Amino acid sequence: MLVLNDDLSDFARAIVRGEEPSSRVVTSYQNYSVAIAIEVYRNNYRGNLHDTLAGAYPVIEQLVGKDFFRLLTRQFIGQYFSRSGNLHHYGAEMAGFIAAFEPAQGLVYLPDVAALEWACHCAYFAEDAATLDIGKLAQVPPEQYPDLILHIHPACHLVRSRYPITAIWHAHQPGASGDFHIDLDSGASNALISRKNDVVVVSALTEGDAAWLQGIQAGTSLGEATATTLEHYPDFNLQTALLKLVAQNVLANFNLGAAP
Amino acid sequence: MEKPANDSLPCIAGIGLRAPHYCEVLEKLPKLGWVEVHNENFFGGGASLRTLLKVREHYPVSLHGVGMGLASTAPLDQAHLSALCRLCDAVQPAAVSEHLCWNSVPDMTINGPMVINDLVINDLLPFPYTQEALSHVARRVDQVQEKIGRRLLVENLSSYLSFTSSEMSEGEFLSELSRHTGCAILFDVNNLYVNARNLGVDAKAFIKALPAEAVAEYHLAGHSIRDGCLVDTHSTQVCAEVWELYEFALQHIGPRPTLIEWDSDIPVLAVLTGEAEKAQQRLEEYHACFK
Repeated sequence: MLVLNDDLSDFARAIVRGEEPSSRVVTSYQNYSVAIAIEVYRNNYRGNLHDTLAGAYPVIEQLVGKDFFRLLTRQFIGQYFSRSGNLHHYGAEMAGFIAAFEPAQGLVYLPDVAALEWACHCAYFAEDAATLDIGKLAQVPPEQYPDLILHIHPACHLVRSRYPITAIWHAHQPGASGDFHIDLDSGASNALISRKNDVVVVSALTEGDAAWLQGIQAGTSLGEATATTLEHYPDFNLQTALLKLVAQNVLANFNLGAAP
Repeated sequence: MEKPANDSLPCIAGIGLRAPHYCEVLEKLPKLGWVEVHNENFFGGGASLRTLLKVREHYPVSLHGVGMGLASTAPLDQAHLSALCRLCDAVQPAAVSEHLCWNSVPDMTINGPMVINDLVINDLLPFPYTQEALSHVARRVDQVQEKIGRRLLVENLSSYLSFTSSEMSEGEFLSELSRHTGCAILFDVNNLYVNARNLGVDAKAFIKALPAEAVAEYHLAGHSIRDGCLVDTHSTQVCAEVWELYEFALQHIGPRPTLIEWDSDIPVLAVLTGEAEKAQQRLEEYHACFK
């Protein structure tokens, strides 16, 4: 291992944990102390991560207020380290963190809103992919439909919640009407996140459509996903679901699956 | 429209392009020599990449990375490097640059037995300038250059502390790195000024010692002061002392593509283009190339 690694690790501990820097750090500077220097790095470290979380979770910040959000991010940053040089990867564990975060226990819907925001964040940075070519699909002989494996666009996510998170999310978007009177008991919501003309959109799916999409996301064939969905949701209509999902750029491509 | 040449930046002033100005730039197409963007904001597809590709139709683009960690002791992040390659393929940039810094260690022990693996500190961190570090960084620069298939520009850092174990100055390290790897040098004048004030680096000696032929770009930015420490916040105008050092660099190194960087408290576009104009005037005074 490189000697360099010892210096970097000591420096990292000073930044992340506030420990004394290594003896190989120059301790005397003209205009400030080494403690100030470390504090500047500590501030940069925490500030960058806080700003990243604020960028990814603007609705959470609005819902809990700036001060509470700062408390929350401080705890989160202490618990979850960054693992990527790309800051946009930081903050994935927020929904689970909030679910276990004692001071936020009263806000039961908060973890699911965080999951929805993370999905939007990932959708924004997702790779491009061609959307489903309906013409090509039409050329598949009908007897092969059940074996079709549909591919989901990389920007597509589904977040299912007991709470009306889609309505909550929409009420906190720039330019929203300001109607925050959302009945928490108004029922479950299936938030579909996708990208249309490069804009991340959040729409609501019915239970049946969501169950079917979840099956497709899991890689089950069109026939199997449809049969399973119909067992639980007899009203499920494949054609309607397909039209809606194609319109939302959810489906990317298909293949014929494994031969029987 | 023909895309601008993609092999090198024009020897004129450009600006760092950030999100608050995307729309205005695309709408008004102001007279800008070129623009520089932070790579990581354009990894992936969607709106960001599409915006950058539109910008690219009108201006040469320089891709400036803040996350590669050339001096990190954790392995080079291959996914990050691949994302950069895809971005290069899409954008056909006029330059690709990174910082002479580290951001990651492979495993860090804390509180005795607890180990954090692949910790990343998302900042631009200094390290001791040793022969060992030079071989290490050179290997990584070679890897990056091989993967992206072009010369990398490596930028000197602003630092708030230094190491007793350093065997050479940052300037010597950069020069050696360039000699070993063929990488170019992105000389950030404000960073040098920050180090002169913070660490007592002799700024003029640094400039005189740089291999002029390896310097391919200048950066200019503003800093702020916290408790006596100059912090490279890119939040204000370029100060008079940095303009002076820039003029000194123009004399000793020569005119090079020059960027105005501004990353926090971002002002209206006109302020940025005004700063770029000041750089352009100086470039022209020092017999810069004319279009």
